[in-house]
Amino acid sequence: MTQLNDTSKVDREPPTPLSYTKPFWEATREKKLLLQFDKRNSRYQFYWRPVSIYDGLGDLEAREAAGTGEIFSFTIAERARPPFQGHEPFAIAMVTLKEGVNIMANVIHCSSEELRIGLPVKLCWLPLKNGTFLPAFEPIRD
Amino acid sequence: MAFHDSAIIGFAETKIVEKSDRDVCALGAEILSSLIKSTGVEKGAIDGMILSSSMSSAGSVFWSQLMADALGLGLNFCQTVDIGGCSPVAALARATMAIDSGLCENVLCLYADTQASADNRPSKPFRVEWTSALGYLGPPAGFGLLTQRYEHQFGLDYRALGKLAVAQRAHAVLNDNACEKLRKAITVEDYLNSRMIANPIRLLDCVMVCDGASGLLVTSRKNAERKGFTKVVIPLGYGERTNHRINEAVVDVTDTGHRVAGEAAFRRAGLKPSDMGSFHPYDDFIIAMMLQMEMLGFCKQGQGCDFIRDNDFSHTGNLPLNTGGGQISAGQAGLAGGGTNLIEGVRQLMGEGGKRQVANRKTALVTGIGGIPYGRNWTTSSVMILSSDA
Repeated sequence: MTQLNDTSKVDREPPTPLSYTKPFWEATREKKLLLQFDKRNSRYQFYWRPVSIYDGLGDLEAREAAGTGEIFSFTIAERARPPFQGHEPFAIAMVTLKEGVNIMANVIHCSSEELRIGLPVKLCWLPLKNGTFLPAFEPIRD
Repeated sequence: MAFHDSAIIGFAETKIVEKSDRDVCALGAEILSSLIKSTGVEKGAIDGMILSSSMSSAGSVFWSQLMADALGLGLNFCQTVDIGGCSPVAALARATMAIDSGLCENVLCLYADTQASADNRPSKPFRVEWTSALGYLGPPAGFGLLTQRYEHQFGLDYRALGKLAVAQRAHAVLNDNACEKLRKAITVEDYLNSRMIANPIRLLDCVMVCDGASGLLVTSRKNAERKGFTKVVIPLGYGERTNHRINEAVVDVTDTGHRVAGEAAFRRAGLKPSDMGSFHPYDDFIIAMMLQMEMLGFCKQGQGCDFIRDNDFSHTGNLPLNTGGGQISAGQAGLAGGGTNLIEGVRQLMGEGGKRQVANRKTALVTGIGGIPYGRNWTTSSVMILSSDA
């Protein structure tokens, strides 16, 4: 069995937010995953944009995701650049959240044999050095 | 006036190398000089220039002006197209528009990049906010996600993908301008056994970044006839689509913008896939070519592997594919790489394919792929249908 690296030892740079993505990263300090919600169209979107991808208008609400979903697709990084170099293999997945959006994240606490499309996963967090957290996912084990 | 009222009267390319010891403008100069010599069009008659963007020029916001100055060109139309690997094909489309509107008469489409020796992209570019902290390697990771999903939806025969890799490599062996490191024949086993990069993407799925340049000289068809050019290539139809399925939050990554761009290009040309004499799809990754076969209508969605097994992609086959080796086997000249397959299509139609000349030199199909977005397949898809006999 190949246990995938949980990337917790990677010295990653915290992302640099844009004017309209600051609320997302600030909320991660309290381990809240915020999605943008378009009330006019009753739909969520991710990643964060300055307008709704459905009608091009503003006034988007920030709503907290429940934090569960399933693997939409994944790739196992067997080669990486610094600071990830030496931490391979690790997993990057698109996860479909139950709110109906795809989010890209590392999948941790998982083996390569276990990882599959459709695998139920739940949100967990990796600490970043500026006090914010990076959303990640791990398998839901009954 | 219409799209097909323009004519390509010349093509040029440098050898593709692992690292060039020459500046990107020197490569551009080689293309300009080559086109002047091969067409007899004097420098002063070139009054339009359209560049593809380049990694080497990423530090300059005056790129087309700098290149025009270095080359000593006085222009009535000067611009850079910045839609990634689609830019070279898109530059040709924009050249026909500029000529059609009467803004200029003779347009140099110039694609030059020295990404391998001078990658001048900023260290903190846009768009990495959502991916850089994940160890996302960019295109290989994006295509890893895409490939895994395709396999889940339709099943995938990696030996079929290997067949495309082998066919292209055999073509690179016949191409003196291909990067020397890549001019060695491979087998399907070599492909399958190459090391994993972003599983299931292998090393031999990927392009190798190189340095190189290519270009075209485009004029009005009337002008080409008046000047007595007998070897011309006519752009018959073009389609382009950026941000396919952008207003969806969960995107089927096996469905690409080539479906839309291809329908537009074939409709405008009045032709269909089975009319194509050779096929020069943009190849940043092997599976991208299979997806294009499906989206452009050579076969149905999900049946790409069957189609590959049933057809012969060598230059003597029924559907000659990237007869110069494509970018994967000739080397990817940075953002100018989209010019490699375009120039090969033009070369075949002009009957200058030499050892790799295809039999049907009436039509050629050339495409582009540009940009790797968050969670979709790619940003821009472009499709160009070329003809020698319109």
